[in-house]
Order: sequence, then structure tokens, then C-alpha cells
Amino acid sequence: MLDFTILTENIGMFIEGFKNTLIVSLLALIGSFILGTLIAVFRIAPIKPLNWIGTMYVEFFRNIPLLIILFFIFVGLPVLGVRFSGFQAGTIALTIYTAAFIAEAIRAGVLSVHKGQTEAARSSGLTYVQTMRYIILPQAIKIVIPPLGNQFLNLVKNSSVLTIVAAGELMYQGDLISSRTFVTFDVYIFIALFYLIITLPLSYGVNRLEKSLAKSN
Amino acid sequence: MIRFQNVNKHYGDFHVLKDINLTIEKGEVVVIIGPSGSGKSTLLRCINRLETISDGLLEVNEVEINSKKTDINDLRKNIGMVFQHFYLYPHKTVLQNIMLAPMKVLGKSEEEAKKTALYYLEKVGIPDKANAFPSQLSGGQQQRVAIARGLAMSPGIMLFDEPTSALDPEMIGEVLDVMKALAREGMTMVVVTHEMGFAREVADRVIFIDKGQILEDANPAEFFSEPKEERAKLFLSRIFNH
Repeated sequence: MLDFTILTENIGMFIEGFKNTLIVSLLALIGSFILGTLIAVFRIAPIKPLNWIGTMYVEFFRNIPLLIILFFIFVGLPVLGVRFSGFQAGTIALTIYTAAFIAEAIRAGVLSVHKGQTEAARSSGLTYVQTMRYIILPQAIKIVIPPLGNQFLNLVKNSSVLTIVAAGELMYQGDLISSRTFVTFDVYIFIALFYLIITLPLSYGVNRLEKSLAKSN
Repeated sequence: MIRFQNVNKHYGDFHVLKDINLTIEKGEVVVIIGPSGSGKSTLLRCINRLETISDGLLEVNEVEINSKKTDINDLRKNIGMVFQHFYLYPHKTVLQNIMLAPMKVLGKSEEEAKKTALYYLEKVGIPDKANAFPSQLSGGQQQRVAIARGLAMSPGIMLFDEPTSALDPEMIGEVLDVMKALAREGMTMVVVTHEMGFAREVADRVIFIDKGQILEDANPAEFFSEPKEERAKLFLSRIFNH
């Protein structure tokens, strides 16, 4: 049976970890969505140099471990005189890493809108940007929601890696509590439950959004 | 109004359009026919630069289509286009489909754009569908909305790319009727179609194209009764004897 005294006696640390995970996730979610959209635009725009930059970004950051990005920012950049706290380095690393996946999801969504839609819009005199804004993106967003939801869930879970740089999030607090009390099993079960408090509603919200957007068509 | 002069187009090694010379005057209704893969749709799509040409001169209203200096969006305001598969915007209502370009491209007010949209919906015979979504309409209705969408920009030229080819046979008539009415009002029209009845009845000229070349350019009576080229005779006999 689970030992709930572990939870009640250390509730302050659990809550602190939960709060930090929530904040890191939220910041990285917003940051990676904005950065990912920008990179997706780079990849799709009819301008070759932008395509190259976008492709390089995606292929680089998607294909190296998150941990390496994190270490580079936390212990690599200080060599150049740029210092971040564990919390800051973690947020930046998560944002950079997740943005690569989000860019791909958005790009795939935009490309899945039939090219006849672009032709119809452009032939009526709309500019490229207007066509994107009024015709393509509103249709792409419906296609993009499920893969985007997956990326956000991954982001929350990946934030556990930040324990390595002492970002103060859930996993880190769990490690602290278990090393202090020598209780491992119960602590990590409680930590897992705290992650679920974030991810399950997120998952539910994404499903709801997907359904309501599908209905509007 | 539209002038092709020694226009060529290549897709890699494939020579799609070969030395096209063609002039279309204001108010003319020109029907382009030919076997599939002959380049007739490509020819049409060059006129509003959905396809670029490889060399030669192509002018619309004395403006060079493929010149770097040409503001293509400005030129396209004046050229409406109707596609085989309609390409209505599925996330917008019929009315919004028609109002979008007049508001965003011509800068019309919402009120004005709506008035225009309703006028053209009336004209194509489906004013009651103003607030429906495209998915709720039949193919024929969708194509008529697409025509209204093109007309709402008050273009000088309308291009039709096989407008009835994706329709159930029952729906073809209603779309052709709208096009015939438009032709009678003096709209400059370039129509790629397999509807020989339409060509015979309303076209001023019929262009027969095969393997990227214009083989015949004649008035419909002449073309259908005594085509000059062997390839055109063969094409017509196959169409009429099936």
C-alpha cells in the first residue's frame, strides 16, 4: 500500500515541483508554438534561403537528444560568458527542441490543404500572405491539432529531463525527497500522479478542441 | 485583350505548349478543345500565370504577364477563374466565399460586398443558399457559386477550366445555362471543355489543340461541319460516335 505520509510530510516540495513543471511547460509551450510556427513559415515560404534555414533548424534539433541541447545551454554557453539558471536553461532547451517537432506538424498540415485552394485564392487576386491567413491556415489548423497535442504532451513529460540541471521541477523534487527519505517506490508513484494532473486535462482539452473544430466544417 | 505570341512552355524535357499564337478580342467566347494531355488546360492557366511560360510573349490588356515588373495580383483582379473541382473554401459560407476577394483585394466594405454577392447569387439562381456551407451543396450548385465568386470581382475576362467535367450529368445543364447567359452579355470568356453542344451554340471561335500545338482556329459551324485537320476529324468522330 502507498505510504501517504511521504506525500503529506513533503507536500511543500511536491507542490513546488508541480508549480515549476507547470510554469516551465507553459512557457515552453507558448515559446515553442511561436518559434515552431515561424520555422514552419520558413520551410513553406516561396523563398529558397528561408527554406534552407528552416530545414537546417528542423533536421538539427529534431535529431539530437534534448539532453545535449540542455547541457550545451547550461554548461556550454557559460564558457562564452552566457549564464542561465537551471530553470531558464531548461525552458530554453525545451522550447528549442519542441519547436522543431511543432514546425513539422504545422508544415504537414499546411501542405495537406489541397493546392486548388491556393490556386482559387491566388487567382482571385489575394496575395500569398492573405491566402495563407484567410484560406490555408484556418483549414490547416484542424489537421494540425492532434499532432500538436501530442507534441505538447511530450513537452510536459520531457520537462522531467530538467532534473539534471536542478530546475526545481517535479522530477527534481522527487529525486530530492527520495534521496533524503530513502523511499523510492512511493515517491515516484506520487510524482507520476502529479504529471497526470497536468497531462490528462491537456489531453482531454485537445480531444475536445479537435471534435469541436471537426463539427464546424 | 489576350495575346499569345510564339509562346512555348516546357516541363523539363516535355514540350507542353509549342509556338502558340493566339489573339482573343474583348467580348469573344473562345472554346478550347482537344484530347486529354494536349495542353489545353495549361494554355488556359498561363493566362493568369498559374503556370509560367518558358518563352514568347503573353499579354493581357497589353500588360506582359510574365514580366518581373508586372503586379500579378493587380492583373488577376480582372481575370476570374472557374475550376473543374470548384475549389470553394470549405470553412466559409457561400456568401463569405464570394465576399472575400472583393473585400480583401478591392477594398470593398462588407455591406457593399454582401450586396454584390447577393446580386450574383441571384444571377446564378441560388440566392437561398447564401448561408450554406459548400459541403451542403450539390456539385452543380457549388460550381454556380464558384462562377458567382469569379463574377463578384467584376472581371473583364472569365476563364473556365473544364467547368462541367466533375459534375453529374444532371447538373451539367444548370452550369452551362449560367455560362451561356454570361456569354450573351458580352463577357470575354475562354473555356476549356468537352461540351461540344456549348461550343457549337455560344462559341465565337473553336480552338483545337493537340500535343501542345494549335491545329485549328475556326468558327464553330465551320469546325464541326468540316474540320481541316485529320487529327481534329478523328477527335470529333470519337466524341460523337460513342
